[in-house]
Amino acid sequence: MIGRILRFPGRLVRASTSTLLRTGQNVLTAFVQIWANKGRSVLTTLGIVIAVTSIITVVSLVDGFGQYLTKMLRGYGTQYMIVNPYVPPAMRGRGMRRVTLNIRDIEAVRTECTDLRRITPFVFAQAEVAYASETAEDIPIRGVTEHYQTIRNFFVDAGRFFGPVDVDNGAYVCVLGRSLLQLLECDESIIGDYVQIGDARFLVLGLLQSKGSVFGDDQDKTVMIPYTTSLKLWPERRDQVPFLAEAIDEDHIGSAEAQINRVLRERHTIQAGQPDDFRIDRQDQELKQFDKVRNIATGVLAGIVSISLLVGGIGIMNVMLVSVTERTREIGLRKSVGGRRRDILTQFLTEAVVLCTFGGAIGVGFGYVLTNLAALHPQMVEVQVSSWSVVLGIGFSAGTGVVFGLVPAFKAAILHPIDALRHE
Amino acid sequence: MIAGDAQTVIQLIDVEKNYRVGTEIVRALRGVSLSINENEYVAIMGPSGSGKSTMMNILGCLDIASRGSYLLSGHDVSRLSQSKLARIRGTRIGFVFQTFELLPRTTALKNVQLPMMYAQTSNKKRRALAALERVGLTDRATHRPNQLSGGQKQRVAIARALAQEPDIILADEPTGNLDSKTGDEIMAIFDSLHTEGQTIIVVTHEEGIAARCHRVIRLLDGRIASDTRQTPAPATNPIQEKATVA
Ligand SMILES: Nc1ncnc2c1ncn2[C@@H]1O[C@H](COP(=O)(O)OP(=O)(O)OP(=O)(O)O)[C@@H](O)[C@H]1O
Ligand SMILES: [Mg+2]
Repeated sequence: MIGRILRFPGRLVRASTSTLLRTGQNVLTAFVQIWANKGRSVLTTLGIVIAVTSIITVVSLVDGFGQYLTKMLRGYGTQYMIVNPYVPPAMRGRGMRRVTLNIRDIEAVRTECTDLRRITPFVFAQAEVAYASETAEDIPIRGVTEHYQTIRNFFVDAGRFFGPVDVDNGAYVCVLGRSLLQLLECDESIIGDYVQIGDARFLVLGLLQSKGSVFGDDQDKTVMIPYTTSLKLWPERRDQVPFLAEAIDEDHIGSAEAQINRVLRERHTIQAGQPDDFRIDRQDQELKQFDKVRNIATGVLAGIVSISLLVGGIGIMNVMLVSVTERTREIGLRKSVGGRRRDILTQFLTEAVVLCTFGGAIGVGFGYVLTNLAALHPQMVEVQVSSWSVVLGIGFSAGTGVVFGLVPAFKAAILHPIDALRHE
Repeated sequence: MIAGDAQTVIQLIDVEKNYRVGTEIVRALRGVSLSINENEYVAIMGPSGSGKSTMMNILGCLDIASRGSYLLSGHDVSRLSQSKLARIRGTRIGFVFQTFELLPRTTALKNVQLPMMYAQTSNKKRRALAALERVGLTDRATHRPNQLSGGQKQRVAIARALAQEPDIILADEPTGNLDSKTGDEIMAIFDSLHTEGQTIIVVTHEEGIAARCHRVIRLLDGRIASDTRQTPAPATNPIQEKATVA
């Protein structure tokens, strides 16, 4: 009994090494066959090559964009939302009263919404900025409070941001984005000096850290001033003040949104069933937006891949059927020296799988090349071939080999040894 | 007729084999009974179409009888499953074909190892080299079939049949594709294998080859027409002489 137990692992090892040996032999035979029919093999794997090339390339690109977007949005904070006055298109001109969103609304949201950590009005305008003899047209002017820095993750790295006192007083102070330095042809010594924004003179308190550009939109081409000052410059905006609100953490974005919704509907006396007169855009939903893009890309990819795998698979099946016919006598011989049906089946299945995987490997190579070519484009985000797309591509091609190799392998396996040996 | 006889390797009892060709039935074997003992050296003769190959295929477990039974070393193999038959073919029977049937693009050594791949025999290389040595082809182990002469190919095929130390060697017209001198060399190998104790059955059309055997079975229209034992004729080939002397 003990002896038998002790012998058991040895038997297991011997059985598995012989299986391994036989698999190795099959793979070797497969390579010999592929090499003997080089031209045919390459042509038949074309479908597989296309399928895997598209898998690698599309997955890498979509992944690259996804990571880029996620990183970017994280960089700007994803816990905040933007609230804008808004009339649903269906209600426009239907006697709905004038939409307002004012500082008192924002103050009410700030005090009543417990799931919010920070809030800042956001008055957006464009104006001409001038310094010495240089002027820059159409510069976005953001009227905010000091909280804006934390909410958007957008801090100064030279000088200082304006503080609550500047906001309360409506002081003529500003911080500049880095691109303004180029536009105004000056350097950091501008801090402490004055610039002209529209008709007013502003003291430059600091310079914002560089954020680069997002999809061609230069984030550094901006000037920030206290929102109170903005409202002095553009008083017509008083009843149309959007605001940014940051939830206490990522799990409370939804509840914070609900609180804002309730407070604003109450203050605007909107009846149940009536649409909101404001719109809340959650930043974390930008990511969900991208998920849609990702899903479409995945769908298109699945289409291309399944068609080319089908075409490739049929090609493989065809070439394997030819191979079985050509090698009927070999099959007869193998059976006459002890090859069982399952041995023949595995041999030809292995061959189909090796052929497909070979095509898949070429596809992975092409995928690398295409991805790296795409990465050369200057406007391109950073992309790289993800290892799981390689696994996916190779897996799909091997799977195709199994599926489309079954029929020929089965045909070979059930051949009668004598009929096979008699084959002309 | 006794299944348990230790000496009996092969026993056919009323074996019939029918082939269906369209609506017609071809009766290739019409009730063949015979028994062959260990270390017998048997020639099967008969006109073309008399059923020699059909009988050999049944003996080699490549095909099964339509009726009757076949006992191999006392075990009935006429109703075995495909995979059991394959195992018997791989371990107990060595088949030598008229057309050699070597795998192309594969060395002599690998060809000889083929049955061992399926039977999962250990020491494949050593056994294969030993088998090649017995047919005098040690120096051709790494050659591929297209680098070998017809006689050499057949010797590789014999080595392949030998490698598993089978109970019987079945050769269906092994010299049919060879000139008479090469054929004699091949037969000399069989002679010496027989001397070493191997049971051998050879199908042949040549009386000269049949004369070397100890027993000649003649088939006619799927039946045994005659079955005679004889003293083998003295060898005419120097190689064969050497083998018998040794
Ligand atoms: N697969 C088959 N289908 C139909 N008929 C067959 C088949 N194999 C053999 N036969 C027939 O069975 C009979 C015996 O054939 P077999 O091959 O055994 O003859 P043989 O004695 O080996 O002849 P030869 O000396 O020409 O090789 C022949 O009439 C042949 O036509
Ligand atoms: Mg024949």
